[in-house]
Amino acid sequence: MKVLIIIPAYNEEGNIERVVKNLIDNYPQFDYVVVNDGSHDRTAEICYQNNFNLLDQPQNLGLAGAFQTGMKYALAKGYDAAIQYDGDGQHRPEFISAMADEIAKGADIVIGSRFVTEKKPSTLRMTGSNILQGLIKLTTGRTVHDPTSGMRMYSKNIIRILAENINMGPEPDTLAYFIRCGAKVAETQVKMDERISGESYLNLSRSVSYMLTMSVSILLVGCFRKKIEL
Amino acid sequence: MTIGFRLFLALGALFAFYVVIRNIRKSKLLISDCIFWTLFCAFIVLLAIFPGISYFFAGLLGIQSPVNLVYLFVLALALYISFKQTLRISELECKIKNIVQDITLERKK
Repeated sequence: MKVLIIIPAYNEEGNIERVVKNLIDNYPQFDYVVVNDGSHDRTAEICYQNNFNLLDQPQNLGLAGAFQTGMKYALAKGYDAAIQYDGDGQHRPEFISAMADEIAKGADIVIGSRFVTEKKPSTLRMTGSNILQGLIKLTTGRTVHDPTSGMRMYSKNIIRILAENINMGPEPDTLAYFIRCGAKVAETQVKMDERISGESYLNLSRSVSYMLTMSVSILLVGCFRKKIEL
Repeated sequence: MTIGFRLFLALGALFAFYVVIRNIRKSKLLISDCIFWTLFCAFIVLLAIFPGISYFFAGLLGIQSPVNLVYLFVLALALYISFKQTLRISELECKIKNIVQDITLERKK
């Protein structure tokens, strides 16, 4: 099975070299592609210098746009599975093969989940995670333990849909939408690390607006979206 | 606020929501862009169901008729979204300009 690791990177000059070199050195069985999302720092330069496999967007499109660029690449190259992988080193590559096994067993989407066997801590951030988990349960009947995990693997049929349609951002509302369409979602227990360099994208106002968008999208809009043939 | 006006508000908001959803289904509208309109419609429906809200704030602001507060509210939000759209258009123009310039320089190579 051909697996592609898609690494969207926006201003990750402090992390990208370490993250990609780790993949190249220790996980040569997987292909990878870095999608530089119009970074203002040396992210692209570092990738060119090291001869990394790079898709270099001249403008910033946001995570959803960069992710979709990666999906279009996966589709064009005929990959069987593609995984969304953070450029900041939070995700650990040792869990990729276990996730790929789930795809091989017939799952459409595999979530690298922090809370299958581990308990969710009660922090403010996890309150958001719990709300989203509740909304997904309410609208789909399915329990997704870690809806905000950014480590998700998609099968070939899902890659095509993600590459070719709008409103398919790599977020919990898309997950809920796919479940409503009948996608088989599996969760694999993973560990994640704290980011080493750079700043997190989430601050208070962004978090509030994120939760609002996700809630309205899952609860109100999601119920009316046209279902797609998987 | 009369029952007729409240009915008019609610039906208008529901129709607006229908238009929003239809465009989502036709893949013409981004979900991130429809959130504002969805909440807007929901709030207008709330105002129609609970006119007490407008009475309370009209009293607070010294506006004689609560209907006028509804007008003011809708007008303010319309101006707000209009300005946000101007910002978005400026941003898009800059991006397009940069992309064209990038491609032009690329062709020269």
